[in-house]
Amino acid sequence: MEGFMDVLFQPLEDFWKGFVSFVPNLLVMVFIFILGFLFAWVIGISLKRVLAVVNFDIWCDRVGLTALIRKGDVWTKPSEVFVRILYWFLVILFIMIGLTALQLPTIDNLISQFFLYIPRVFSALLILIAGYLFAGFLSRAVLIAAVNSGYHYAKVLAEAVRLLLVVLILAMALEQLQIAPGIVVAAFSLIFGGIVLALAIAFGIGGIDAAKRIIEGEGEAKKMEKKEEEEKGEEEKGRDIEHL
Amino acid sequence: MSDFHQTDPIITLHRLGRAGLERIESEMVEFSKQRPIALVLPALYTEFQGEAIKGIIEELKKVKYIREIVLTLGRAKEEEFKKVKEFMSQIPYEVKIIHNEGKRIQEIYATLDRNGLWAGEDGKGRSAWIAYGYVLANGVSDAIALHDCDIVTYNREMLARLCYPVANPNIDVVFCKGFYSRITDRMHGRVTRLLMTPLLRALQKLVGPNPFLLFLDSFRYPLAGEFCMIADVARTNRIPWDWGLEVGVLAEVFRNYSPRRVCQVDIADNYEHKHQPLSAEDVQKGLMRMCVDICKSIFRTLAAEGIVLSDSFFKSLQVAYIRLAEDTMVKYEADAAINGLLFDRHEEAGAVEAFASAIQKAAEAFMEGPMVSPLIPNWNRVTSAIPGILDMLKKAVDEDNRS
Repeated sequence: MEGFMDVLFQPLEDFWKGFVSFVPNLLVMVFIFILGFLFAWVIGISLKRVLAVVNFDIWCDRVGLTALIRKGDVWTKPSEVFVRILYWFLVILFIMIGLTALQLPTIDNLISQFFLYIPRVFSALLILIAGYLFAGFLSRAVLIAAVNSGYHYAKVLAEAVRLLLVVLILAMALEQLQIAPGIVVAAFSLIFGGIVLALAIAFGIGGIDAAKRIIEGEGEAKKMEKKEEEEKGEEEKGRDIEHL
Repeated sequence: MSDFHQTDPIITLHRLGRAGLERIESEMVEFSKQRPIALVLPALYTEFQGEAIKGIIEELKKVKYIREIVLTLGRAKEEEFKKVKEFMSQIPYEVKIIHNEGKRIQEIYATLDRNGLWAGEDGKGRSAWIAYGYVLANGVSDAIALHDCDIVTYNREMLARLCYPVANPNIDVVFCKGFYSRITDRMHGRVTRLLMTPLLRALQKLVGPNPFLLFLDSFRYPLAGEFCMIADVARTNRIPWDWGLEVGVLAEVFRNYSPRRVCQVDIADNYEHKHQPLSAEDVQKGLMRMCVDICKSIFRTLAAEGIVLSDSFFKSLQVAYIRLAEDTMVKYEADAAINGLLFDRHEEAGAVEAFASAIQKAAEAFMEGPMVSPLIPNWNRVTSAIPGILDMLKKAVDEDNRS
């Protein structure tokens, strides 16, 4: 009978022991969650004040980051967007840290992957921001140069440069995030190569006459040079004869 | 108008002979291919509850040379904005509505504000300015026409005549203002008749020949709210957000362009719109506030021209104005008599007294703060400070019109 009772209560006892050892972990997790929310909230409020003091929103307006945010149909202040992103990042970070307190192998594995992925997200974000600013700068430079040299389609050219750079930057960011890297590289090569090929064909066909004129002009110039040299040679020969 | 008198220094285009709406419209269709035209309509939601706007939309439906209409809707809730959008959808060409109270447009104003580019208080000036911004951002129109949305006697000939001088490449005009008479059983337009004209002439008496005063005085209806201009004017001119809008716009045109490239055109035999109460006892309301703002705008421009305005100058101005306004009243009384119109001499004299006190208030305000300016920065400066602002504005308006 005792053996039967042992068999009957052993799983319950095991469950109880497991539960008793699990509860502190669970409490630690909940504590870390609460701490995370509080920490994120405090950091958010402090950062908001710091950003207001350093005129972060004005800086974003001037360098074009606000325009970038608006393109995504987000209509809050850039500082608020930044603070919200940081807030949720910290909350997720603390959730992940809290989950490690459970000491479950599957979750631990997932979390280690998450922490390994964070640097990639940061570098992709940096690539996007720096790339956007660079694309804007280069596009504007092209626009000014083209307008100053009297090029009729200056705006189209500047937009084309911006588009090409945006494609390049997006491909770089996606590659950094390791989102279907093979497909991204292939798609980028096809799109970028296609654009360059299209431009080459367009310039090639459009520039046939110009190229012909240039080549003919050079040919003519060479012929003239040769002729002049020959005439010079003849003259010198004549002089030599005179000397003789 | 039956005469063909030219007032220097601007060009005056009269209404002579047959109207010829078909001819003028067919020419406009051709001109608009070279110089596409945007029509800007500043409106309040309350105007969509009236009858005038229905007539205006009926007429606009038939117009074939307007490339886009940009309507700035003020004091409207989200639901009201949707109603207006639906109402405007009957127009067969592109119509964009700027929802002034909308979240996106308010954020645009907030962006400007934090960069030290205050767009002023809500009103016709700011509505027109933001609409110009959208036209510039859209980049499809080379000319911009503007008229109010409370014109009861609106017909499309008004619009055609207003746009014609700017659209026609053979008439080298950058800015064109409409003029008309405003009569029912009596003469209206008290501010133009009894304030603007006598004030400008009194100022000319005190200051002597002055190009700006001469320029303003050459307009038959300087306070007319209807004008058309090339898009460059919208880019380079600053606009006052207060009631001094019309005078402020003329002052900026005078400053930036030669008067030989400015014209006024007779757009209608008669013009009727919402009448405002005089509210002589309160300078913060109705016509009185408008008069104070107009006077301040003139004084500021004169000071900017280098004319010294002192306390004694303003005292003399007040006396000279009253004398000239009384003389003007006598002229209009005779004009009313020959045309069989009612003329309430007492009411007109009361208006002159009210306008005299408006001049005094404006003078006091000017002496207290001559540097206070209600001008909204021009779009060139705004885009220089915030390079992406036009893209943001376009995105905001397009999204509002999409959802």
